[in-house]
Amino acid sequence: MEDRKRFIQMASRIEDALAWLNRDRFSQLLERLVKTTSHLQQLNVQTRKMSVALQHRWLAAADRCRINTQNLLNDVSYALSKAQQLIQAPRKEVPQLALLIDELRQLQDEFGDIEFEKAENTISVFTEPITLEDIPLGPFKIQLELNKIDQLYYSSPYRVMALDPNPATSDNSVTHPHVNGEKLCEGDGCAAIRAAIEEGRICDFFTLVRSILNTYGEDSPYVPLSDWNGVSCYDCGYTMSSEDTYYCEHCQHDYCSDCSTYCRHCEETVCLGCAGQCSYCEEFVCARCVSACEECGKLFCESCLEDDLCPKCKEDKENDNEQQEEDINENNSVPATHPTEIILASREGQAGSEVQSDRVGEAAVLQGQIG
Amino acid sequence: MRLLYINNDGSGFADYVTASEGTTVEQFFDSKMPGQESEDFLIRVNRQPVARDYVLQEGDRVTITPTKIEGALLS
Repeated sequence: MEDRKRFIQMASRIEDALAWLNRDRFSQLLERLVKTTSHLQQLNVQTRKMSVALQHRWLAAADRCRINTQNLLNDVSYALSKAQQLIQAPRKEVPQLALLIDELRQLQDEFGDIEFEKAENTISVFTEPITLEDIPLGPFKIQLELNKIDQLYYSSPYRVMALDPNPATSDNSVTHPHVNGEKLCEGDGCAAIRAAIEEGRICDFFTLVRSILNTYGEDSPYVPLSDWNGVSCYDCGYTMSSEDTYYCEHCQHDYCSDCSTYCRHCEETVCLGCAGQCSYCEEFVCARCVSACEECGKLFCESCLEDDLCPKCKEDKENDNEQQEEDINENNSVPATHPTEIILASREGQAGSEVQSDRVGEAAVLQGQIG
Repeated sequence: MRLLYINNDGSGFADYVTASEGTTVEQFFDSKMPGQESEDFLIRVNRQPVARDYVLQEGDRVTITPTKIEGALLS
C-alpha cells in the first residue's frame, strides 16, 4: 500500500514533467515563428525602401536594399526550415499514469530500491559495483531530475554519481571513463536515452544509462583505463596523465616535464639522464648531437666544435701554432740581421763564457770595441 | 499478430509490428536483430524476463535493450 502511494506520487511528478517537455516543444516552435515573422516585417521595409530608391533613380541605395533583401531571404529560409522541422516532429503523447506506475514497478524489479526525493523532485536508482578492465569504479547512483526534463533538448536532465569513487589519478572529476563532473557522455546511447525520456519509458532510460556505465568505449574516454592510475615518471616517480608525459627515445621511458628537456640541436625530447650538456655553451643536447673534443676529451655540442676541437683547445692550438711560427721566424732571421749575435757567438767560442741575448748593453760595448 | 516492439538499440524507437502466430521470443529476436547474440541484450516481454521459448501473444510488449553501449567523449 505504501509502495503504491509512493509510485503514484512519482508517476504523477513524471507526468507533469513530460507535460512541461511537450509545452517546451511548442515554446520552441513559437520562438521560431516569431523570428520568421520579424524577418518578414524587415523584408517588407526593404521592399518599400527599394521602391522609393527606384522612383528617385538612386541606384546605389537600391543596390544596398538588394543586398539587405538577399540576407533577409536567407534568414527567412533558415527560420522556415527550422519551424517546419518542429511542426513535422510527431507529438509525443504523455503516457497515462497507470503506464508510468508500471514503468516504476519494472524499475524496482530491475534495480531494487528506488529513491524518490520529493523536495528535489528526483528519482534515483543504484547500480551494482562496476569494474571495467580490472579497475574497480564502485557503484553509481543515477539520478533523474524531473525539474530538468523540460530542458531535455539543451542539457542533460540526469546525473551519474560515484558512491565509492575511484577517480582517474589525473582528474578527480572523472569517476568513470565516460563520466566527467557527474555528466555521462552517452555516445551510441544518446538517441535511445532521449527517446526513452520523451516517451516516459523511465525503466528503459535507467537501463540504458546502466548499460553505458557497464561498457568501456576505448575510442573516446575522458581518461583511458590504461592511464586510470596515471603514468609514473621513470626518474622521480611523479604520477601524471599520459598526455603530460615526455618520452625519451634514447632510454625509451616516460618522464615528467621536470625530468626531461629537449635537444637544442635536433629538438628531440630527451630525459635529463640521456641529455648531455655542452661543456662550452652549457645547452642540453642529445647523445646523437654531442661529440668529444679531440684534445681535452670533454663533450661539446656540434655547434661549439670546430675541426673536432672545442673553442678553448682550438684557441690554444692556434696560439701554439703562432708561437711556433714566431720561433721559427726568429731562428731563421737572427744570423742574417743581428751582428751582435755573430759577435757573441765568436766570443763564446773564444772565451767559453755564456752570453745571453738580452745583455744588449754588453753586446753594444763589444760591438764598439770591434769597431 | 500485432506486437509493441521497443528497440533500445540505436535510435530507440517504439512501434507496432506484426509477427506470425507461434513465434517464440528467440525467433523474434533473431528476425529483428540478425547477427546479434541474445546474451548481449536484456529482453523483456510485458516488462518481465521470459524464457527463450516463450511463445509471443497478441498485444505483447517486447523490449530489447543492449547490455553494452559504448559511451563517448562527445555525444
